[in-house]
Amino acid sequence: MSKHKRIIGVVLLVNILLVSTHSGEFWPFSIFPMFSQTGNPWSRGVIENVQDTTRVNLWETKSIEKIDDRILPLEKYGIHEIDYANYISKTKDWNTKKINGLRSTFQIDDYPDQIWLATRVVGSLTENDTVEIKAIPMFLFTADTTIKNPNLFSQN
Amino acid sequence: MDRLFQNLFQFDAPDSIGTKIQLRIFELCTVYFTLSYTWEWALYVPRLSDVVLPLGIANYINVEIFFGDLATVNAILITLFCLIPFLFKKLRWLYAPAFLLFHLQHVVRFSQGEIPHSANMVGIALMGLGLSEIFFRNDIKKSLAFAFGFTVFFFGLGYTSAALSKLIATGITWPSGEHLWLWMGEKSIDILSLTGEFQFNWLQQLAFEYWWIATAILSIGLITELIGFLIWWKPLRPYVTLLLIAMHVGIDLTMNIFFFTFTVQLIIIGFPWNKVINRLTESISKSSTQKTVEQYLLY
Repeated sequence: MSKHKRIIGVVLLVNILLVSTHSGEFWPFSIFPMFSQTGNPWSRGVIENVQDTTRVNLWETKSIEKIDDRILPLEKYGIHEIDYANYISKTKDWNTKKINGLRSTFQIDDYPDQIWLATRVVGSLTENDTVEIKAIPMFLFTADTTIKNPNLFSQN
Repeated sequence: MDRLFQNLFQFDAPDSIGTKIQLRIFELCTVYFTLSYTWEWALYVPRLSDVVLPLGIANYINVEIFFGDLATVNAILITLFCLIPFLFKKLRWLYAPAFLLFHLQHVVRFSQGEIPHSANMVGIALMGLGLSEIFFRNDIKKSLAFAFGFTVFFFGLGYTSAALSKLIATGITWPSGEHLWLWMGEKSIDILSLTGEFQFNWLQQLAFEYWWIATAILSIGLITELIGFLIWWKPLRPYVTLLLIAMHVGIDLTMNIFFFTFTVQLIIIGFPWNKVINRLTESISKSSTQKTVEQYLLY
């Protein structure tokens, strides 16, 4: 049993060292911090299947209820929804590489008839303790172009 | 302390058919989930183009070189390193390199910002199998019992540490109902994004309607996690396991996240299946064919 103790002790020590120096995560070691912080606003992502690119509110931030009947089901395209959510919500600098990365993830060139609007979704608690969820359009993808939301990005 | 280690590593009838079956099923489950995740990740990785958040060893090496065929090569190696020791009960030290490559496969796949935990205990179990063979060479009985206890230990530690993380990061107000509302809203967007549609179920609607129900759900979950370490003691293990499984069902109903792998692993390690099997088989006399099959499938 002393051998068992020594092994567990050493692995536990390695565990503590690794998670304490890597923000609580060094797979498979973890302090399992998910959902430990509460009340913070969150950010996710959806893809809106756009039928009419000329509509006036295309680039407006709007309530999720206004678009929830035309959301692209990512499972049909083999795309991991959490990866997409992280990509669109955590990317700070939307340079050409990042935008092309999104295009290649979606393999948009394989769907020439489709027009997809990559949309960030943010949620927060209001002062009345209700949950408010807003959709923020980011990029419009067609087979041959990518258009950035003019309200968020400068034209150059 | 000695009693704790006996609870973790000692079986009541170590040479019985029940213990052998339970330990080999534990090993089979570890190999199955390792290969299942390995190939799922290998097939997804070619879609990736950029490291968003480096995890584990990816903090020190650029894993972008694996965004292609190398992830498949890695998967082939992991497959061989798991199947050879499992099927032939030889070269069992191969579980150790399999674990290291499995870590690599994980950090390559999850370089996009998500930090999932569904495969953590599979990684721990595989690490246990690798370590056990390094320290208990050519003694499959001891090494499997060690890997089993090692996994039980980290299961208990993991749940309790999850509860402590919540109490440290937020404090005693963590279970306040509005926090659940915010998470339910967040997960509803993930499901909407995945399937194109989403509707809140009866429990979610109740939780939204009554703050105290949402608070009670979170409180029960927090307490269950906090006492997770009690799984280390054999007499308490089945009861703690039942509570943890119930908690996972609750998480699924409220937040639409089901930890399938965790639940299967809990079912295998959390109940005294060895005793049940021994009781069921004690009256059965063995034919020579049965003995041969037993010798091949077990040890």
